[in-house]
Amino acid sequence: MSDLEYPEDLRYTAEHEWVRSQGNGAVRIGITSYAQDALGDVVYVSLPTVGDTVAAGDACGEVESTKSVSDLYAPLAGEISAVNDALDATPELVNSDPYGDGWMYELRLEDDSALDGLMDRAAYQSQLG
Amino acid sequence: MSNGALKTSPVHDRHVALGAKMADFGGWEMPIEYPGGGVVREHTVVRTSVGIFDVSHLGKASVRGPGARELVNRCLANDLGRIEPGKAQYTLCCNDTGGVVDDLIAYLRADDDVFLIPNAANTAAVVELLAAAAPDDVEVRDLHEDFGVLAVQGSKSDEVLTALGLPAGHEYMSFVDAQWEGVPVTVCRTGYTGERGYEVVAPWEATARLWDALLTAAEPYAGLPCGLGSRDTLRTEMGYALHGHELTPEITPVQARVGWAVGWKKEQFWGKEALEKEKAQGPRRVSWGLLATGRGIPRAACEVRSGGEVVGVVTSGTFSPTLKQGIALALLAPTVAAGDQVVVDVRGREVPAEVTRPPFVEVDVREG
Repeated sequence: MSDLEYPEDLRYTAEHEWVRSQGNGAVRIGITSYAQDALGDVVYVSLPTVGDTVAAGDACGEVESTKSVSDLYAPLAGEISAVNDALDATPELVNSDPYGDGWMYELRLEDDSALDGLMDRAAYQSQLG
Repeated sequence: MSNGALKTSPVHDRHVALGAKMADFGGWEMPIEYPGGGVVREHTVVRTSVGIFDVSHLGKASVRGPGARELVNRCLANDLGRIEPGKAQYTLCCNDTGGVVDDLIAYLRADDDVFLIPNAANTAAVVELLAAAAPDDVEVRDLHEDFGVLAVQGSKSDEVLTALGLPAGHEYMSFVDAQWEGVPVTVCRTGYTGERGYEVVAPWEATARLWDALLTAAEPYAGLPCGLGSRDTLRTEMGYALHGHELTPEITPVQARVGWAVGWKKEQFWGKEALEKEKAQGPRRVSWGLLATGRGIPRAACEVRSGGEVVGVVTSGTFSPTLKQGIALALLAPTVAAGDQVVVDVRGREVPAEVTRPPFVEVDVREG
């Protein structure tokens, strides 16, 4: 696992998702380097619909590799404000650039301060063991 | 396996050194994929060049003694009278209800010597059944850990074997014995990918060295070590049955469309009565291919519906790296026909699919 990266400026969840503050109450969400490596080649991503309202912990999409399926969980409550349509045609971006072009969706937070409740890099890495 | 410990292949330390992701395959800890490869890349290299697989988890068993061929022929389903010594045959070990205990390859060495390659998890059962049916002078031996098996698959597989001084170019489903660095190996023109290729049976303790040599010989062709993840996507694209999915003790060869591997004219084989009856009456369900026409990937156990009615169930499903679409094999009601549009219930979402006859891709596995 030593070659997998976890950027300092992100927040993380136990479901192996990352959350990046966009400022103005919105966050961008994707899956971590650990998650994409565990899944293997990502071949299909099913994302929520812009305008949907989600509660923290809601299953709101799926990531599939050749061999398995994982649910995407909303890390925080809010409204879906954008989805990464590029993943329809190029789901492999989740493997090649999980924190960049492989992002999944954006959420307008119900409560800005909820972001602080998520794990920082050190906490996430320590739970990876 | 009651203690939960997994067996390991003679190539295990090579897989670990390469950093392969390992998983349980029929009680064996085997590689799924390798770093720098991944299922899609490993799949593609087999379709375009050559890939090397460790399939040492597969069973090996010998049936030897006067009447060995006759024993196998009156027990297993296919007709060993159709082939000559030096040829291998895909065959089935059925139960009394016509269900499939195992599907396996039989190498006919001589009338008194048949070598079997059953599935890892079914080897002990096949050996036990044959041993119980054997006359005193025919010995059935489980040689699971006496031999390793490496598969060399893809259009460049002849070049890889030739570089090692091994025989290549022999007929599909035939085998040739050879020496490699002082050890006896058997090179059989078989595989599970649909590509031209070979499976090499080697003594257990020589298998890791042979693996190293094959990987080196594959380098000029950009060949890769390939895991069992890509072996599964490759076989699914071909529509090849996998025991535990398309074939089980509850699924007959008639239902799975492998009736071509049944010697219907033989006087006897296990399950004959039940299978003849089913063939005459027509099976209550039949295996088909499903090509997802909408976005989504059908998976094993997903329900298949047509006009709101349940018409069957998916037995294997995956993403086809060649077609970039979801593909599946499914057991469907006899009312369903090729070209029908159905829907697959993928975790509550309806994915439309077209009923087809596999293979899903065009290949030339038999080409001279």
